[in-house]
Amino acid sequence: MTESSDITRDYDLYLGCVAPNRYPMIEASTVQVFKKLGINLHDMKGASCCPAPGVFRSFDIPTWRAIASRNITIAEQDRRDIAVMCNGCFGTLLEANHLMNSHPDQRTETNAILEKVGRQFEGTVKVRHIIDILYNDVGPKAISDMVIQPLRGVKAAVHYGCHLLKPSETRPWGKDENPTFFDDIVEASGAESIDYKDKFMCCGAGGGVRAAIKDVSMDFTREKLSNMKDAGVDIIVDCCPFCHLQFDLGQVEVKAMFGEEYRFPVIYISQLLGLAMGISPYDLGLIATKDKPPGTPPFIPTEPFVKKVVEGM
Amino acid sequence: MVNSDEEPRIGVYICDCGVNIAGVLDNDELREYAATLPNVVKSERYKFMCSEIGQKLIQEDIENGEINRVVVAACSPRMHENTFRKATREAGLNEFLFEQANIREHDSWVHMRQQDDAQSIAQDIVRMAVAKASKLEPLEVMKVEVKPSALVIGAGIAGINVAKDLGDQGFDVTLVEKTPTIGGHMAQLDKTFPTMDCSACIITPEMVEVGNHPNINILNYAEVTKVDGFVGNFKVEITKKPHYVDQEACTGCGGCSDVCPVITGNEFDEGMKERKAIYLPFPQAVPNKFTIDMDHCIKCELCKDECEPDAINFDDKPKKIEKEFGTIIVTTGYKAFDPSDYTPYGFGRFPNVITGLQMERELSSFGPTVGKPVRPSDGKAPHSIAFFQCVGSRSFQPGMNNYCSRVCCMYAMKQARQYKEKHPEAEIYILYMDIRAFGKGYEEFYEIAAREYGINFIRGRAAEVFENPENNNIIIRAEDTLLKRPIELEVDMVVLSVGLEAQEDATVISRLLNVSQTADGFFMEAHPKLRPIDTLSDGIFVAGVAQGPKDIPDTVAQAKGAASGAASLMAQGEVEIEPYFSVINNALCSSCLSCVDLCPYTAISYDKLANLVTINKALCKGCGTCTAACPCNAITQNHFKVSQIMAMIDTAIPTR
Amino acid sequence: MVLIKEQIKKIDKSIVEEVVEDELLERFKSCYQCGTCTGGCPSGRRAAIRTRDVIRQALVGLDDDLLSSDLLWLCSTCYTCYERCPRDVPTTDIIIKLRNIASHRGLMKGPHLAVSKMLIETGHGVPINDEKWSNLRKSLKLTPLPPTVHSFPEAVKEVQTIIKELKFDELIAYGEEVKKKLAEEEKKRAPERIEELEAELKQLKEEAGK
Ligand code: SF4
Ligand code: SF4
Repeated sequence: MTESSDITRDYDLYLGCVAPNRYPMIEASTVQVFKKLGINLHDMKGASCCPAPGVFRSFDIPTWRAIASRNITIAEQDRRDIAVMCNGCFGTLLEANHLMNSHPDQRTETNAILEKVGRQFEGTVKVRHIIDILYNDVGPKAISDMVIQPLRGVKAAVHYGCHLLKPSETRPWGKDENPTFFDDIVEASGAESIDYKDKFMCCGAGGGVRAAIKDVSMDFTREKLSNMKDAGVDIIVDCCPFCHLQFDLGQVEVKAMFGEEYRFPVIYISQLLGLAMGISPYDLGLIATKDKPPGTPPFIPTEPFVKKVVEGM
Repeated sequence: MVNSDEEPRIGVYICDCGVNIAGVLDNDELREYAATLPNVVKSERYKFMCSEIGQKLIQEDIENGEINRVVVAACSPRMHENTFRKATREAGLNEFLFEQANIREHDSWVHMRQQDDAQSIAQDIVRMAVAKASKLEPLEVMKVEVKPSALVIGAGIAGINVAKDLGDQGFDVTLVEKTPTIGGHMAQLDKTFPTMDCSACIITPEMVEVGNHPNINILNYAEVTKVDGFVGNFKVEITKKPHYVDQEACTGCGGCSDVCPVITGNEFDEGMKERKAIYLPFPQAVPNKFTIDMDHCIKCELCKDECEPDAINFDDKPKKIEKEFGTIIVTTGYKAFDPSDYTPYGFGRFPNVITGLQMERELSSFGPTVGKPVRPSDGKAPHSIAFFQCVGSRSFQPGMNNYCSRVCCMYAMKQARQYKEKHPEAEIYILYMDIRAFGKGYEEFYEIAAREYGINFIRGRAAEVFENPENNNIIIRAEDTLLKRPIELEVDMVVLSVGLEAQEDATVISRLLNVSQTADGFFMEAHPKLRPIDTLSDGIFVAGVAQGPKDIPDTVAQAKGAASGAASLMAQGEVEIEPYFSVINNALCSSCLSCVDLCPYTAISYDKLANLVTINKALCKGCGTCTAACPCNAITQNHFKVSQIMAMIDTAIPTR
Repeated sequence: MVLIKEQIKKIDKSIVEEVVEDELLERFKSCYQCGTCTGGCPSGRRAAIRTRDVIRQALVGLDDDLLSSDLLWLCSTCYTCYERCPRDVPTTDIIIKLRNIASHRGLMKGPHLAVSKMLIETGHGVPINDEKWSNLRKSLKLTPLPPTVHSFPEAVKEVQTIIKELKFDELIAYGEEVKKKLAEEEKKRAPERIEELEAELKQLKEEAGK
């Protein structure tokens, strides 16, 4: 349990697409870690794709805004703020919430559509990334107090991802090209965050580039991986399922496309904190159980890393 | 003089102002409209009312006795109120029976695209002016004495020139400088563009001259802390900070500094060279006397033992000096933009990213590297240097300035050329967006920089830099916009051409002197074209970068202009002030004293014994605060009487 | 040889009107073409997008193929340029707006049409479309289907209603139609093109022979 008592302890957990449907270990680990921190994440029933800010917003802004606003109204009905695990979903829901709240004309337009499905956007909830909750509400100190298995000696390449930080005018951290809040959370686990070249560069997945122009997308990833390698890191830590996919599956694709081989375990922040807090690595999806189906992630096994850092495994 | 008790007979004169007004408004219609208004006996239209013929139109009508009130519907009174007042006066009518209706700035210019609305707005404006004119009363202009003494605030090249010019004309000048030495930024510079003459060689003789001038009193290490009074009679309090060294006794021998154990960065060298806690900013400082920097002094008193004339005094206290001045000239200069917060350029993080002012010190033969620039990381002469233009300027990024700083293009090219002269083999890049080389000889300087010196101009603003960990080189990312290609450029050193910004304490000065600042923080001139060195506070002038970024020739030109403005005021010995002051009717006053506290100019005083509230006509600026606040309606303000203002409001709101 | 006349760029401000439909985008008129956006663009470092040039084209008229080429779709919407623009030009949002314009002309990329169809069918852009994903969830002690649209058919209906109301489905269908048409034209042109290439080859060979 965290010490400060005045923080919000109940959220609607917005799942998105990639976390529940491709990388469910992100969902599982987040729910468990937040439970340990005394924060309840409730189902956001019937939520859809956010829809993704780079793709769907690129096709038709009104559709993007309407579907995003519909998702927000679910939380409004539940009277709970929204916790988001994905940078892309965070971008969409935060921006849509902001536009709907600050532009009456857009709100009227979109509400007219929502009315057809019996909904109205009221502007009563906040959209928060779990990193925001972890850093600003819980705090790295309280997290490190709960660590029973410090991940000492682990060199982590922290990847913030773009939409966590930008556009900064709507983000809780403001304008800062060299932030450290995510590193502070990672270091609360006992791991060390290693600086690497172009740390804040995009993973290459966003904006529909991964879907449409794969080689360019993978070349972003290749460059980041190569910079991480130069810095001598052991693992990649991220806070976005789409970046996560891009780095995990991406290492396989980079090898196929460019013949460069990397084998960095890619760890989502909840998995990292869960491990340090003593949650079973099986429950966190860090070590595969027997019934894990073939052809599913992680594509770069995380097991060897866990075995190295956790005593007695 | 026409008797104002006569029934008002108003003449309305509508100005076309070429196409400025008539291009938008139908002035014939407006003239006909004006003729229908109450008390209007004459309504005319003319191309340029401010011309001699235009003025004659008014004067003839006054002289013929046709009219006894004048309304000119034209530009802003700021532009031509004086012109028409003079015309009115010369024709024998009290000049305060003239009223100007501004149908240009307030209408035709701003409503250019809404012609119909503009026409009815013009009618409103004219109707209101006529309503006020009907109620106008004659007033007499007041005269006050102007003391033949000037206060110059800030002793850079601008302040030094003002002081010298006024001192030479025999006026008593006090030159106040915040730092321990006069000279300002120009003393820091090595050479000046485009002539490449030595900056220090130009300014040091001037510093010495001012230092020895019989009519100039330098108050260095001092700040203006209070200003009362008005044009001709400013009462100023100046606080001299403690030097902890008796300035009379100090011989400037420097023995103290030799023994002082504390080492810190010298401001004069932009932190690139050390100085002691007891110091002289630079060898040629004027006055050439030492000061202890108490923020760093550890009170070991070694200097006290060393000082032969026994000048060190650890008990030194701030001193307040009070003096009256006829005029004040603000020449507070600028502060260079601090790029520390702009992370993409890595200043403060990467040792080989320095500012233009630091480069200037490195280029100076008495600077930290005795004129041979080196990279801070290893002390070696850089083979390649990139200059980034517009750092802190022309940007809407938080903490940056929207305006162009006007000197950075030139100083970057100058520094580049200087370095090339010492290292012909060096590779120099200037990353720019626009090269602004607009002064005399500047364009030629630019062309020679490219052709003769082989300096590479890349059109593109640097996006970001990072450091090559192996050799501390700086790798730049940018777009060569002319090639339409992103580029990565590795250089040994980067110089940020930082812009100029208003001094941090400009707001303090602005409040003390009641001189406004423009949105960018610089002091506002009375009129950007016609009164560029006057401020809206009579008797206070501004010159140099304090008014806005400019180079040395422009600064000196303004300084000379300001000196001349101040001199002509002081030479006349007296000045007219507008009779817009407020008048108190003591019979109605209940001595509640609300007005006394509210008056921003401390013009109202209360005599307890006599139980009398009085308003000092010269101090009163006619702001109207007291008039509005007085619960007994005991105060009226000349030329803005309640009856006059209400007449305008009544006619403005048709339903009333 | 290309006639110079064809090289002359037509200044066509009509696109400006379309872009600034959203008044938030109006600030792009302040662009002074400094290239800060391109200079820091991770995509421009490896591909053909020149952010500054895109903004310029939006201001003075688009090159013929800007909307149909890959250029606009090379932006990963990382917002690096947006953050750094010294003139507060909402660069990334301008690119997104131009993509909207392209999409409404039926110029979406194939994979994007496919994802959109997923969204229209299931409410997820990346749905559970294979048993292995449910099994993976189960192996992590999660419900086989997440409590999203996947568990609530009426929620899928809601999303579909919104899509129909805004004619997003028609937009996608139009995109497919255009795509098909372009492909057919391409195919029709293929024999011609082959002839052209063969002629060129022949000429080259002859020249080489000389
Ligand atoms: S950074 Fe901004 S001002 Fe500069 S070229 Fe790009 S959009 Fe234009
Ligand atoms: S948002 Fe797009 S255009 Fe801008 S820097 Fe990122 S990838 Fe380049």
